[in-house]
Amino acid sequence: MRMTLRHVFVLAVCAFAVFPILFVVSAALNPMGTLASTSLLPAGASADNFANLLTSDAYPFGRWFLNSVFIALASSFASLLLSMLAAYAFSRMRFAGRRAGMMALLLIQMFPQFLAIVTIFMIFTEVTELYPAFGFNTAWGLLLLYLGGALGVNTWLMKGFLDTVPKELDEAATMDGASHAQIFWRVIMPLVTPILAVTALLAFIGTMSEFLMANVFLRDTESKTLAVGMYGMIAGDHRNANFGMFAAGTLITAVPTVGVFLWLQKYIVSGLTAGAVKG
Amino acid sequence: MRMRALGVATLATLAFTATACGSSQPAAPAASAGASSSAPAVGGGTLVIWADPPRVKPLKPFADRFGAENGVTVEVKEISKDNQVTFLTASQQGSGPDIMIGAHDWIGNLVQNGAIDPVTLTEEQKASFSAKAVQAVTFDGQIYGAPYALENIALIRNTDLAPDAPATIEDMVEQGKALKKDGKVDEVLCIPVGQKGDAFHVYPIFASGGGALFGATPSGDPDPKQVLLGSEGSVKAFGKLKELGEKGDGALRTSLTNENYIVNFAGGKCAYLVSGPWAISEVKKAGVAYDISAVPPFEGGQAATPFVGVQTFFVASKGKNKALAQEFVANYVTNKDVAKALYEADPRPPALTAALEEVRASDPDAGKFLDAGKDGLPMPAIPEMAAIWEPFGIAENAVVKGGDAAKAATAAQKAIDGSLKN
Amino acid sequence: MALDAREATRASAHARPRREITTAFVVSRIAVLAVTAAILLYAAPPLAATGSWVALGLLCAVSATAAWLYLTRRFIPAKYLIPGTVFLVAFQVFPVVYTLTTAFTNFGDGHRGDKAEAVTAIETGSVRQAPGSPEYTMTVALRGDELVFLLVDPATKQVSLGAAGGLTPLDGARLGATGKVLAAPGVSVLKAPEAAARGPEISALAVPTPGGLIKANGLSRAVEGKATLGYDATCDCVRGDGGTWTADESRGYFVNAKGENLSQGWQVNVGLDNFSRVLTNPTISGHFAGVLGWNLVFALASVVGCFALGMGVALALHHPRMRGTRVYRIVLILPYAMPAFAMLLVWRDMFNRDFGLINQLLGTEIDWLGQTMTARFGVILVNLWLGFPYMFLVTTGALQAIPRELTEAASIDGAAPWTAFRRVTLPLLLVALTPLLISSFAFNFNNFNAIALTTDGGPFPAESPQVGGTDLLITYTFRLAFGAGGAQFGFAAAISVFIFAIVAVISAVAFRRTRRQEEVYA
Repeated sequence: MRMTLRHVFVLAVCAFAVFPILFVVSAALNPMGTLASTSLLPAGASADNFANLLTSDAYPFGRWFLNSVFIALASSFASLLLSMLAAYAFSRMRFAGRRAGMMALLLIQMFPQFLAIVTIFMIFTEVTELYPAFGFNTAWGLLLLYLGGALGVNTWLMKGFLDTVPKELDEAATMDGASHAQIFWRVIMPLVTPILAVTALLAFIGTMSEFLMANVFLRDTESKTLAVGMYGMIAGDHRNANFGMFAAGTLITAVPTVGVFLWLQKYIVSGLTAGAVKG
Repeated sequence: MRMRALGVATLATLAFTATACGSSQPAAPAASAGASSSAPAVGGGTLVIWADPPRVKPLKPFADRFGAENGVTVEVKEISKDNQVTFLTASQQGSGPDIMIGAHDWIGNLVQNGAIDPVTLTEEQKASFSAKAVQAVTFDGQIYGAPYALENIALIRNTDLAPDAPATIEDMVEQGKALKKDGKVDEVLCIPVGQKGDAFHVYPIFASGGGALFGATPSGDPDPKQVLLGSEGSVKAFGKLKELGEKGDGALRTSLTNENYIVNFAGGKCAYLVSGPWAISEVKKAGVAYDISAVPPFEGGQAATPFVGVQTFFVASKGKNKALAQEFVANYVTNKDVAKALYEADPRPPALTAALEEVRASDPDAGKFLDAGKDGLPMPAIPEMAAIWEPFGIAENAVVKGGDAAKAATAAQKAIDGSLKN
Repeated sequence: MALDAREATRASAHARPRREITTAFVVSRIAVLAVTAAILLYAAPPLAATGSWVALGLLCAVSATAAWLYLTRRFIPAKYLIPGTVFLVAFQVFPVVYTLTTAFTNFGDGHRGDKAEAVTAIETGSVRQAPGSPEYTMTVALRGDELVFLLVDPATKQVSLGAAGGLTPLDGARLGATGKVLAAPGVSVLKAPEAAARGPEISALAVPTPGGLIKANGLSRAVEGKATLGYDATCDCVRGDGGTWTADESRGYFVNAKGENLSQGWQVNVGLDNFSRVLTNPTISGHFAGVLGWNLVFALASVVGCFALGMGVALALHHPRMRGTRVYRIVLILPYAMPAFAMLLVWRDMFNRDFGLINQLLGTEIDWLGQTMTARFGVILVNLWLGFPYMFLVTTGALQAIPRELTEAASIDGAAPWTAFRRVTLPLLLVALTPLLISSFAFNFNNFNAIALTTDGGPFPAESPQVGGTDLLITYTFRLAFGAGGAQFGFAAAISVFIFAIVAVISAVAFRRTRRQEEVYA
């Protein structure tokens, strides 16, 4: 009985989650797909939009896809490492400025980032001149920029999680003579895989859909990410003409994220069991 | 201490990937900065062009040819959002392009920021463009770019439903209402309004109703010191829009938006569409029989003058290679083939008369659009125009919903006066 | 996993005492030095080549500090914090600080550059072609090492040589079909690529004539022009036929006697003007309370709604006997996996009165985004849809950290599930998630996109077109800063400071309230 209730509730939320997406699916399958279609059922079903998208001359969609996945994977991995390191220090060590540092981390995120574009231009104009490999139009430059946001709320998320791991564990390890690095890599990391997986996923999704910075950063058609490239598809007056393809692209964009989720799911839900905590 | 070494090694690897791999660009799928460049530079130097997405592809072959002739690398970059602001910011910081492509109504703002240089065209070149195009790119007595295409809105009608071009707005509305009553169409007229109005599309109707945005300076340019949105004529025009609106004829509706107005016409849901050349590909795709004429005026009203926009190549003042940029804009891109290639990618009537003639022969639509805009008003290029669009649109939306015309016009005037004073 | 950890501790037990120098210690230190050296080797040469000595010094200092930090055994927290902090400072702190400094200037359209740039722009823009002057066909050539122009008057075919010294007739030149010079005595004609390579020199060469200056227009034409405006440093003014414009350093404009200014201005310090404008602007002050109220409702409703829904489904799925959780989870994160900007546009069109899916399904004719209350409901609903998967994910992760014994113990004690949740699960979740909720509140408080891409602030009452029913503080103030008269970055920066102050104060207060809680559980 109680299980049924759970299912009903989850199904209702699923319906809410899926309903606008069905609309996109319908537009992607509809050969005359437009943003203004009024029905959930496509007028005609065909994979034309997908085929057009993947073979398009004007839109190197496959390339965008690879760019996005590469940047998102690299940046989520790197920022995971950076924020985990910081979270460990914040959770396990006591030092001057700890609280202030954490507070600053939270507050700095609250400043409207909108205006930072001007400064980003200023910094990367210099960088492009000195180190073209990290300048505008490069994935590496964009990665560096994304790492600026690596700390921040993710650090808080992981710190909160680390706080729930009993301190006795590292105390015991310290007694055994383990160094802080050993405790970090061999004791703590394995215990916090769920939150590592969640954070990695959040970082991955965040990078996949990041638009503001990528838009000013990547200017070659070939170097664009999905978000930027697809925005270009519906920019200006071409909004309707490309909407079928755009809808198809939107659906494909979700594929890597779902893939990463499938991969990480087992860590998210089974990483920490009651037994492990007893340690 | 094994683990510490492992940790440090991981860090080191990361740092190395960041540094070492960074310099070997092809290793990363996204890092092929040179992918869009043309033949390798001989004489050195690059010429960077920024364009909006639909124009990148058609420009490539010409850019490559220019590059090969002059021994430089020509890169065509794609900017898809906030092009003008991005251009200004990048230029100011020194990472902007040499050549920018944009609409002529940016000129005022680009000039006040010192972002573009005048372009000298010979008398012969000037004569080869349509007069309206030259007029549009002239600002403060100087020509600030090479025009390549014109665009203005017109009335597109479904000839199966409405065989004859209406002579007046009243005719059109009457015909539209009759068709709607017979159940042949769902909408009287397809014109975008949306929740914030659409000043660009409604302007011809507004102008015909006696409305005006700016007074004129002695030289005939729009005068930003005289905003006329709250004037008597404009109030009357807003009144006319109200009559056409949801509480009146139902020809203007807020639910028709930029996203759906063309689709509705293409789907046969209305007999009349007010739109520009960009609508044609979709209308054709849907197989609707159509014809193009000027937006008609009100009976006994003023001329229904549309805004004319002119797509332009600009020479950036802070470009690194201005001589080449000048050469490209003033002497190279002003040729017929470039104009035609751009037309094929995005069918807006070419500004170059010779190109237009050739295009007109194969595709009558271009000429018809141009005719519909022959009395059009080049969109004012003064920076103050930025203050007009939104309050105007909101006033339009308000009267279309049935709001009071005088109130809406006064509020718009007040909002504009307030923001221009700042 | 725990076994693993224990093994590790046992395996390294022989490493005591800790001050002993092991091979690993040496290797790791060598690695540190190698990385530092690699970074220096990569980064230093370009700086040295361009003569950026300050930057080079900074680079060396930072690398040395970092290397030393990782070489010593002290400052352990810093070892963990430095990597992320470096990026944070460079790409977040620095931009924010820089933005703050622009709040004291008039930086914006018309005032982007410095005074010298404005003068250049004014002079360049004022160059008029000399009346009646020929439109020369130009060929670039070298006279010795000196770059010169070979100018052909198309009407008379007369060839002249233009150099920095002036214009002199040149005889004996051979002309090609296009009217360009193919060869001429005493000079070597440059081919197109050779000329193109000297672009900057070509742009820089001005040939003086009685009527003005001949300058290249591209690579194949030249025109004689005259600047009608010129800057005069002695009076710090711009003179021309139309009058005199004197520099006004308080506004960053050249102004004439009538008070009119030249359009090209420059960036100047305006002190606290932008801040006082925020406080005195009638549009901002007149609507501030109403907008702030709705802004708070929007941010709170978004956070609480997303959290409640996300946590609800996470809890529903967090049960050992629950089936189909994998599929459910995938479906539930889908809204988060779709590009947000695309879905915002889709939602906007679903709300359309006559053509939208929602009215069609409900059989209603509601102008959702055309009326304040329904529009507000709409944007919150959309934001809920976009945001709940995030909360679902983090709660799912955090739930794993709550030892099942605790909840089991509670239920064995006979507590009702609801009580167990309220007493045990929720407090533990909140320990981990409160900072996220606060940060999510701050994000939604300034959620520019959620509004800009759906209602764009609308619906707007006809009598006050500046402030719409769903406008947040950031959308309506930024409309003032960017909507009219171009972008006013300085003003926008001042606005940001105020908005930041509001968010930061709310967040800090909320945070203090949870602090005690954290100390209890941490």
